[in-house]
Amino acid sequence: MIYFFDGSTNGFLTAFLTGYHDERARVTSKKTQLTIGDEPYYIKTDDKLAERAKARLLYFDPECMHDLDLLLRSGDSDSEQTAYLYFKTLAKSGKPVRNMLSIPAVFSAVEKMRRVGLEVHRLHGFIRFMETASGALYAPFSPDNDICDLLLPHFRARLPKYPFVLHDITRKKCAVYDGKNSFVAPLDKAEVLLSANEREWQALFTRYFHAVNIPSRERLAQQRNYLPMRYRKFMVETQGEKKR
Amino acid sequence: MITQEKLTILTESAKYDVSCSSSGSKRKNDGGIGNGYASGCCHSFTPDGRCISLLKILLSNDCIYDCKYCPSRVSKDIPRATATVEEICELTVDFYKRNYIEGLFLSSAVHKNPNYTMERLLLVVKKLRLEYNFHGYIHLKGIPRADESLNREAGKYADRMSYNIELPSEQSLKLLAPQKSKESLLLPMKQLTSERNIFVEEKKKGLLKGHFLPAGQTTQMIVGASPERDGSILRLTQALYRKMELRRVYYSSYTPVVEDSLLPSVPVGQLREHRLYQADWLLRFYGFSVEEIVEENRNLDLELDPKCAWALRNMQLFPVEINRAPLEVLLRVPGIGARNAHKIISARAYTKLTFEDLIKMKIALKRAKHFITCNGKFYGAKNELAVRGLLTADEVGENAVQLSLFDDFTRFSNQKNALMALHGQL
Repeated sequence: MIYFFDGSTNGFLTAFLTGYHDERARVTSKKTQLTIGDEPYYIKTDDKLAERAKARLLYFDPECMHDLDLLLRSGDSDSEQTAYLYFKTLAKSGKPVRNMLSIPAVFSAVEKMRRVGLEVHRLHGFIRFMETASGALYAPFSPDNDICDLLLPHFRARLPKYPFVLHDITRKKCAVYDGKNSFVAPLDKAEVLLSANEREWQALFTRYFHAVNIPSRERLAQQRNYLPMRYRKFMVETQGEKKR
Repeated sequence: MITQEKLTILTESAKYDVSCSSSGSKRKNDGGIGNGYASGCCHSFTPDGRCISLLKILLSNDCIYDCKYCPSRVSKDIPRATATVEEICELTVDFYKRNYIEGLFLSSAVHKNPNYTMERLLLVVKKLRLEYNFHGYIHLKGIPRADESLNREAGKYADRMSYNIELPSEQSLKLLAPQKSKESLLLPMKQLTSERNIFVEEKKKGLLKGHFLPAGQTTQMIVGASPERDGSILRLTQALYRKMELRRVYYSSYTPVVEDSLLPSVPVGQLREHRLYQADWLLRFYGFSVEEIVEENRNLDLELDPKCAWALRNMQLFPVEINRAPLEVLLRVPGIGARNAHKIISARAYTKLTFEDLIKMKIALKRAKHFITCNGKFYGAKNELAVRGLLTADEVGENAVQLSLFDDFTRFSNQKNALMALHGQL
């Protein structure tokens, strides 16, 4: 049986409890191609049932909801199924399992959580703000995982006087800081009027990027490992790069 | 706004400084712009594979010194430029605001005299901190022979300071950088270390507030411009870590950017630099001492990484049982790094680990399998010679390059001879 839920935490917990005894259960909120023999089951989120499941799981592991939050943010196609197997292992063992790395379900879940954390860390550096005519900062980006709001605290702490928008182009949503409060909102397209000097600053940084490079020590593979091509689309210094 | 030409001149002169780290400072935002990121943050990567974390720039490349290896030396005919304090501050804040950089790495050629240069560097740092209310990371390069009071003042505002040793012996310094001396480099380092320790003590007692070099000090050495062996370079490194409490020692393999009869005309391979960094890691994170890694008058083995080479010299200590060995022993197993050692320690608390478990945990066993048993089982090669052969073959394979028709074959076939010539062995 394939249990489809709405992508929310409570939706997952409802699906988890509903399919707990189903040995062949598959849990997902993403578009899935059904094959012969697959039976879809559409979960209706039941907050009461979810609260019950949550209370029990927290009893086993007080930090497990943090793990679930990270797993549900993962952009991998099998992330919800991984979360299901991870939480099933947790429920069966009755104690925290995140260190039991020799269990494939646990290892896979821990790896996914690590990758979400890694992308947050990477984007703390790879986000590129543009200054708009109003003085606010705007940064479009396209992360693998749903981490728009996880980036907010970092930039809010270091740029408290600058309102900014972090626009996740893929998921059509944005994290906004208006100078006082921060929130997440849906955003399809944004039209941005840049400040007078913005292009000059961008050109200056691009010039710096090329000047600081040592051409005789070219290591493109290493550059690609640390700065994957998919992030370069929104970075000013790599805009003129030819595709290799 | 600084012009593109000036920025290019001042950046090109600064790019051979290896240090790029922005870690170690937890400076908080106090209503202005920026804060520290304790683990450091990389903002971009250039095609040479190095990260851009800090805005690496010189205040001036107009130098009065004539260090033979330096691209900015006074006798070299290159375009010269000097930035104003305002230009550097504006550039830093505007780059930072757009999240291009994590902070500023400010250095300078010795312009007019050491005190004048240090005063100008200090002006930039103070203006950034006090007028621009900038709390981002600042790495300041110290100027040898500048006044002690200037160093002390700089320490209050910078997150990290560094004096580049450049050449690992006094003899080489005399030959290639005659205006610098061992004392002119080590004395300010000692001064800053002792003042930092006093500050930390006083702060603990609540007598002082603020910061004093929260990210400590670093230094840099050029490898291959002078004849010192890796053994003596690493001994100096160990002393710097232990006595001067330096956070990092950086190595830069020599690249001929200036011609001089006293300097080698061929670059030193990047592999030597890589091996030195591996050995440096062993000193800092793996509990090794330099005496275990390499003899004083020898270079590191280019064919094997230093941990493998040590393990092969000490085969009587292996294999170790993965389910019982303590962390410090696991850290000494070739192929098992700090992260994997901790993974093993966590996982074995719940079950006896087998080879299959290690594979499931994605622990690379290519090298490690010769030095471990899992649940009593051993899958490695039987004797030391076979292990050495297998490990060397792997390393050679990893570093192999595909030759093209137009490659200069003699360059490869004589690489060893070139290195020997460089070190005076031929």
